[in-house]
Amino acid sequence: MFRHILLASHGTVGAIAAENMAIQVCAPEGKIDHLIVVPEFWQSMTGDDWLNNGTTRDQFRDYLQTELGKEIDQQCDRIHKKIAAHALAYDRVIVFGNPEKALLNQASNTAYDLVVMGSPRTAAGIKGKFSLRSTMLTQKLAQTLQTALLVVPHPGTDQI
Amino acid sequence: MIYTQKNPALFLIGLSMLAIWYFTDTGGMNPVLDYLASGKPYKYRDELGTLPLYFGLFAVVSGLWHWLGNHREGHLDYFSSTIAGGMLILFITMLVRWFIAPVIEVISTGFGEVGNTGKFIHDLFGLNYVVLGIVAGIVIVNVFKVPKWAENGVRLSRLGLKTGVILLGALYSAAELKNLGGLSILMIGFFVLGSVGIVLWIGSRRHISNSMGGVLSAGMGVCGVSATVAVAPVVQAKPVEIAYTIGTILLWGVGCMFAFPIIGHLLDMSYVQFGAWAGTGILNSAQVAGAALAFQPDGIETLMVAEIFNITRVLILPVVVLWLAVWYVRKEGAETVQVNVGRIIVTKFPVFVLGFILMFALSTTGIFAPASHYQGKYFGNTADLGFKQENLLKPEQIHVLKTEIHRVERTDHGEALNRLIENGKIMSIDDDNAIRSLIKTGDLSTEANKILETAHKAVRHTAKKIEAFRDWITWLFAFGLVGLGMQITMGSMRQAGGEPAIIGGIVGFIKAVLSLIVVMLLIDETV
Repeated sequence: MFRHILLASHGTVGAIAAENMAIQVCAPEGKIDHLIVVPEFWQSMTGDDWLNNGTTRDQFRDYLQTELGKEIDQQCDRIHKKIAAHALAYDRVIVFGNPEKALLNQASNTAYDLVVMGSPRTAAGIKGKFSLRSTMLTQKLAQTLQTALLVVPHPGTDQI
Repeated sequence: MIYTQKNPALFLIGLSMLAIWYFTDTGGMNPVLDYLASGKPYKYRDELGTLPLYFGLFAVVSGLWHWLGNHREGHLDYFSSTIAGGMLILFITMLVRWFIAPVIEVISTGFGEVGNTGKFIHDLFGLNYVVLGIVAGIVIVNVFKVPKWAENGVRLSRLGLKTGVILLGALYSAAELKNLGGLSILMIGFFVLGSVGIVLWIGSRRHISNSMGGVLSAGMGVCGVSATVAVAPVVQAKPVEIAYTIGTILLWGVGCMFAFPIIGHLLDMSYVQFGAWAGTGILNSAQVAGAALAFQPDGIETLMVAEIFNITRVLILPVVVLWLAVWYVRKEGAETVQVNVGRIIVTKFPVFVLGFILMFALSTTGIFAPASHYQGKYFGNTADLGFKQENLLKPEQIHVLKTEIHRVERTDHGEALNRLIENGKIMSIDDDNAIRSLIKTGDLSTEANKILETAHKAVRHTAKKIEAFRDWITWLFAFGLVGLGMQITMGSMRQAGGEPAIIGGIVGFIKAVLSLIVVMLLIDETV
């Protein structure tokens, strides 16, 4: 059992499997830090728009920021309740940037016993489900991470 | 917050520009320029003699201020912080236009013509300074990242494009604007509203959410990313839906920007035909301008047509936003969103279009060029109107044309060439258009085409102010497009996929093919 776990989850099917596993392997009265990364590509999501005026672009940015904020709050609340229901401590770490770097930074700044994450979705994705292409699980992460890493198998589409 | 970064980069950019000017001015650059010109006069020599000097001095002075000066919070700091990024884009544009694109041309010419197309690789694939500039922008942002000191200024690229469109207003005659405007309203009306409708219909058949359908239909139908940005808050699109839509549009847009000019050249499309096709068939407005300049890098006739279509698109945007807002409210229930018609129209109205209209209005007063410039295009076909007798074709030149006239395939081209041979000069605007079109077909030898170019230049008189506008417009668009390239990230494009990619692909393809058929069947070579 692990006393202090870093859980990477942004609510996808694979990540939910990781959440369940983190709760299973966490020691009684242990703590799970929930890492949620807002990928940096959102910063360039206005792409090469040039026709709109500043008001429209500001409106879009504010809207996007609010929606992303709402999604993160929902995810954090959901996971917090799930973890608290097992009498475990919860803390959230929200970072904007490159997911891989964010996880490496967090893992090197705080002493964890285990890092848990879901496995990436299949290339074809899951029918009817939208998810972003922004994986944390890279070769560099596997080579650099100094903490034990648990990658939870994807539950597959029939588990959804 | 202080935006101006204490960094020597701007100063170094200025020094590099001055070095280019110095070596050009002292002749140190001559071997390089001779190599790039491949035996012809190097076409950008005038630009090299002025632009790097003026902008270099400006960059050195402002660069020293950035690097060594004390900066305080405020408007001056904010505006000054944009200089470095703006100069970076300008420097990249200079390097690509003056050196990189000509090198590609030399290498491509060395490989010889592609099959029996009569064109070299760089012609066929549109590898000119505009496309290469956009690619340079994309490479910089994705491989090296935009440096912190340049981030604020990169946004200036939008200002460059909008200023370019405003200046473009001075170049249209009333007849051109009327004809192009009418054509664009018909084509954009049909294809934009049709695409929006089809996406909504397919979306409902494939059971995607209303918000996804709304945002995707705007992006696919109107003007790509710009429409997505405008519509997303109105239809309450989820972030992931926005990401999928923008990813799909950027991927399509970049693909079209390369594919359209190649197809246009293969089909020997005229400037008007290509401008109309690009303006209708390419999803994203930035890539419309890119494709138009890629198709015709040394002139702006195609851009002039394409931009009228872009302007029509952006004028139709508030209407589409309104339509989707009402549609979304009806689909989701009235409590979800309040549609404020006045607010939508006012906030989405593209103010820069007013600048375009103002420039057009000013041009009709003759402030930029005499009215005859617009009425008769550029013609002074008699001695009274400024035609110089020494510009008549020489007997040996006429002989070359006579020996090759049998190779001309189209009747109108043949008739125009006959009149040129009989008179020693081009006799009308229609003949000039036909001769320019004949040059593009590659029916005749290089020598004959050079003679035709000479005949064309002899009758074409462009007012100096208009000439200056053309140069500025070319630079503003090139600057803007390089900067926009620096805002196209692989991270955004990688989000393309799933249902939006399928629906977008189907609609984008149908729109491109149908608009091509319509353009080829119904649009003349001139307006």
